[in-house]
Amino acid sequence: MAMRQTPLTCSGHTRPVVDLAFSRITPYGYFVISACKDGKPMLRQGDTGDWIGTFLGHKGAVWGATLNKDATKAATAAADFSAKVWDAVSGDELITLAHKHIVKSVDFTEDNNYLLTAGQDKLLRIYDMNKPEAEPQVVSGHTSGIKKALWSSDEKQILSADDKTVRLWDRNTMTEVKAINVAMSVSSMEYVPEGEILVITYGRTIAFHSAETLEQIKSYDAPATINSASLHPEKECLVAGGEDFKLYKYDYNTGEELESYKGHFGPIHCVRFSPDGELYASGSEDGTLRLWQTTVGKTYGLWKCVIPEEEGAELAKARVGLPGTTDEELEDLGSENSDSIYSSTPEVKA
Amino acid sequence: MRLGVQEPTMNVPVSVIRLPHGPDGTSRGFDPTSPRFQALGPATLSSSVPGNAVQLEQEQQGRVVMRERYLRSLSAMAGHPVRFTMYEKVNVTALFEASDIDILNFHVSELQTPLGVQRDALLRCSDIISYTFEL
Repeated sequence: MAMRQTPLTCSGHTRPVVDLAFSRITPYGYFVISACKDGKPMLRQGDTGDWIGTFLGHKGAVWGATLNKDATKAATAAADFSAKVWDAVSGDELITLAHKHIVKSVDFTEDNNYLLTAGQDKLLRIYDMNKPEAEPQVVSGHTSGIKKALWSSDEKQILSADDKTVRLWDRNTMTEVKAINVAMSVSSMEYVPEGEILVITYGRTIAFHSAETLEQIKSYDAPATINSASLHPEKECLVAGGEDFKLYKYDYNTGEELESYKGHFGPIHCVRFSPDGELYASGSEDGTLRLWQTTVGKTYGLWKCVIPEEEGAELAKARVGLPGTTDEELEDLGSENSDSIYSSTPEVKA
Repeated sequence: MRLGVQEPTMNVPVSVIRLPHGPDGTSRGFDPTSPRFQALGPATLSSSVPGNAVQLEQEQQGRVVMRERYLRSLSAMAGHPVRFTMYEKVNVTALFEASDIDILNFHVSELQTPLGVQRDALLRCSDIISYTFEL
């Protein structure tokens, strides 16, 4: 008897969800922020999808959102020509950084001291969070609007992607180190520090590049145009979603398609693995965020493994490989969930 | 939770304890009674910076004036035809009746739509870009 994936739908946004980001694991669990065209980014508990709060203040679509690693600060990039920094515990707006055009991307450094922003004005800006009124350092060079800019290599470098190029910059000299041309418009970029891997999507391709040299390591093609992809923390698999509304899961080593899921009612704009790799979240044109289990059937978060009474343990183990599970994982079903990461106090009700 | 068509082979959907909680519709969240807020909370608020007290007071006064003016504009609008410019290139005219307390929804009547005149309707404020009316 096979288990079928039950995605958890997080509603609340009234327009397409265009970006999402997870925090690292904190003493209070991990969190996810979603950027939405309705201008109201939301913070949710990462493993359950429970709404925690909405950041109110932007006057236009929010195109990018990020959390610092302990989810105490959030940053958002919006069509109102501003990037904002928020207190992610109280929901208060802390800093507004005016730009000259739509801002698309924001990224904190590990120590929270600097914020990198980028957008349609084709410039990278580095703001000192301790002196936010001061002029940012500006890096120019892109010839079209920047879609994503990320700190890399212990923040000694910056990776940025526009329509047709991906560029590597040295943070100290503020000059371009390397640039590659991409065959089609880059739809997303993810930086994986362990292993210095860059995940880029364009057209139907999911490509993996070295974050240090920008050389391509490998690439896989999907059946439809892909808008976003994410690599599992253990690099066993990757997930991708795009224009056909479906989510695909591939084996990272072989490129074999492991699973695919329908569920969203519109194109998928962003997918990200959680920091523990147990689930991945997808944001869609349909205005929802959905959470999907990496190991279908495992007890985790709100998902509960229920083995029916009629089937004994032997029958459960005798099941021929479920998609995406190994025999060891089958034995894990019903074992304790990951509550040990979090404090034992009950979850906050929204 | 999507309960699709059950295939003939026994494909059992994974059970869930409950669905994720959504926004409560009345506040922006960030529950001050949550353990995280208690531990990491209000000390990080920028408004707790002293020395800006006078400036803050002035700002608050300004906000009070603007808020009162806006609320009065809403009551002045009642019964008048109002033209709403909304997303997706929607422009409609209606008689304004009332707003809810959080300015999340507007009750209007005689809403002119391409499908005809709607006697009563609720407009979602987040869908409204701007509106105009004449006093």
